[in-house]
Amino acid sequence: MQREQTPLQRIVADFAESRLALSGLAVLTLILLVALFAPLISPQNPYDLAQLDVLDSRLPPGSRSGDGLTFWLGSDDQGRDILSGIFYGLRISLGVGVASTLCAVIIGLTMGLCAAYFGGRTDGVIMRFVDIQLSFPAILIALILLALLGQGIGKTIFALIMVQWAYYARTVRSTALVERRKEYIEAAVCLALPPSRIVFRHLLPNCLPPLIVIATVQVAAAIALEATLSYLGIGVPITEPSLGLLIKNGFDYMLSGKYWISFFPGIALLVTIVSINLVADQLRDVLNPRLQK
Amino acid sequence: MPLRRFLFAVIAAFALTAHAAELRIGLAADVTSLDPHYLNVAPNNNAAWHVFDALVHVDANVRLVPGLAISWRAIDSTTWEFKLRKGVKFHDGSDFTAEDVIFSLERAATLAASPGPFASFVKPITAKQIVDPWTIRLKTAAPYAMLPHDLNSIFIVSKKAATGARTEDFNSARAAVGTGPYKLLRFARGDRVELARNDAYWGGKSAWDKVTLRILPADTARVAALLAGDLDAIENIPTADLTRLKTNANFRLEQKVSWRTMLLHMDQYRDHPPRLSDKTGKPLAKNPFKDARVRLAVSKAINRRAIVERVMEGDAIAAGNLVSPPVFGYVDALKPEIYEPEAAKKLLAEAGYPDGFALTLYAPNDRYVNDEQVAQTVAQMLARVGIQTKVETMPASVYFGRARAGEFSFALLGWGSFSGDLALRALVATPNADKGYGAWNWGRYSNPKVDALLEQGFATLDEKKREALAREAAMLALKDVPVILLHHQLASWAMKKGIAYRPRTDEYTFAHQFRPQ
Repeated sequence: MQREQTPLQRIVADFAESRLALSGLAVLTLILLVALFAPLISPQNPYDLAQLDVLDSRLPPGSRSGDGLTFWLGSDDQGRDILSGIFYGLRISLGVGVASTLCAVIIGLTMGLCAAYFGGRTDGVIMRFVDIQLSFPAILIALILLALLGQGIGKTIFALIMVQWAYYARTVRSTALVERRKEYIEAAVCLALPPSRIVFRHLLPNCLPPLIVIATVQVAAAIALEATLSYLGIGVPITEPSLGLLIKNGFDYMLSGKYWISFFPGIALLVTIVSINLVADQLRDVLNPRLQK
Repeated sequence: MPLRRFLFAVIAAFALTAHAAELRIGLAADVTSLDPHYLNVAPNNNAAWHVFDALVHVDANVRLVPGLAISWRAIDSTTWEFKLRKGVKFHDGSDFTAEDVIFSLERAATLAASPGPFASFVKPITAKQIVDPWTIRLKTAAPYAMLPHDLNSIFIVSKKAATGARTEDFNSARAAVGTGPYKLLRFARGDRVELARNDAYWGGKSAWDKVTLRILPADTARVAALLAGDLDAIENIPTADLTRLKTNANFRLEQKVSWRTMLLHMDQYRDHPPRLSDKTGKPLAKNPFKDARVRLAVSKAINRRAIVERVMEGDAIAAGNLVSPPVFGYVDALKPEIYEPEAAKKLLAEAGYPDGFALTLYAPNDRYVNDEQVAQTVAQMLARVGIQTKVETMPASVYFGRARAGEFSFALLGWGSFSGDLALRALVATPNADKGYGAWNWGRYSNPKVDALLEQGFATLDEKKREALAREAAMLALKDVPVILLHHQLASWAMKKGIAYRPRTDEYTFAHQFRPQ
């Protein structure tokens, strides 16, 4: 006979069934640690212009700088150590991705729950907003916003929130609509509980599983979108490059054989996004009741 | 025998097509119109020069040479007389006469809905007189030495074809009838300009029957197209690819110092300019750029050699003048500032900033060669003498509007001029909209003595005396470090072997100046 499990234990056990997902999780943890401790483990602070020397620019991997520092992965066109650039770039990419997703989840969740719970005109207004937003490609909205606002990490996060919240609002609303008609909500309404309590204490927890899955996938999407925006030169400031900007800086040199400027940040971006997606995929399988064995 | 005849015809046809020389050139910037009086920007003018001529042309060193006018002189202090070239025909076969010149001058002055008008070039002209079909006289209110220069910018269109024609008629090639080396076949915005040789060109027949100017703003794509053989020549080689093209025996690289000088403007008029503070972000008691010692310190902190060698990869020369060496009014004695970081720190301390200060350097990221990288490198160098520098870059479409609105206190600008005095007038003369002085003097440096010398120069019709005055004004102004001079760009062209091009200081790419070897 099967042992009784708490839901969390079940999720952990199911998650661990996939070797691929576990290795994804391991890589992701490593990346998170690197991003967190970047200032401690980086050979150079790539954002401090006084530490850079243009005379060290575009050195191949393994070269030594004028100050005796070894560029294990080479240096970029400003004499920035690519390895340090990747560490700091991961910090920005992950920070922007996670922060924008979290904010977008909170906004989307609130909007979606309100739309589902109150229905009627509230629902109509919110969902038409969502429809309009979803009818434009995300990159287009982000481009327009950043063109208006200018560069900056805060502004990039804002733009990413603006393009993402609608996904969550739509998902949460559809889940919540189903939950809304269930008896426990009716019971709560009959008890004359205040709407805020019903929405956040009863409706919300039951809408979370699909949201978690989408949010995890969206973190990867947000990182990719940030990289795209930075690659186009309108995301983060040029002196504080994220992975996308590092790739862009090296792109001009692709034809002239100086591959390392774009290549290594590109690999870092790829690994990050793949590991997040591996984790997200397994989470989806685990949290999806229809796939329960 | 009919078969033999047929074979002969086929062979002859082959031989002919082989002889029909075609030149395909990749241009770096978008051509927005082929109406030569519509928008005064280099890419449009570059295309227009293939179809149209002006009264006055410039040679590879931007010195004036005869165009549709064979000579010009000032007959008194306010009247210029131009003798026109006889026997010149428009593409439609009609004769070029003084009527067309007057018509073109008027069209340039009055074309409605022109976003970047040519009107400023004809504004000084107060009266136009046709003496005979090949002589015109132009009067100005005051003595004005720059009139022949200004007329280099006014393309001559056919009165017959262009009367009542709108910009669209030029773009569709209907009204684009000029006297230039090529006839316009087709203009496809954002893609290409197709041209056919004008066999009757007065300046000698071009070597190419057909010319296609392809618009390829993406650097990598342009280079790749040349390497793949889709193009015969390209302009504006990205610095990253220079060495590769130089060492590749299948291609030829041509370079020449361009008239474009890169410089930094410093706010010298406000007490508290935006984004200028001490290192903790608190406002400074006064604007450090008002102190000439600080400006000199900034200049001394910049290692121009490193910028030229590392950032520009040799595709530039360090600047000590507002104009590059071939240009009228260049002063040999003005050398690039020497890189002396210690002296810079001392100057900053003397001026009362031993700990430096903090500022933001603004730059466009799609306008000049490596603009973004140059700005970052300058920021590095300033950081080393204690001036904490942030860099903000943006597309040129946003940048120039904000710069003119005075939003930047430290900003990058590239400037090309026909002559030293014109550069001084635009960049360091006291801003005065009525006189057209200081239109690009973002930092508003002001020196009445410099202004006076410039005014005197523009009223001096003798070229030698005018150049002496221009040099005097340059030496006087640059002593104060009104702007930080960085470098003069090199203009570059790459072409497949077997074609030659004489590089031009004005960066123009002219199909008729490519020659087969």
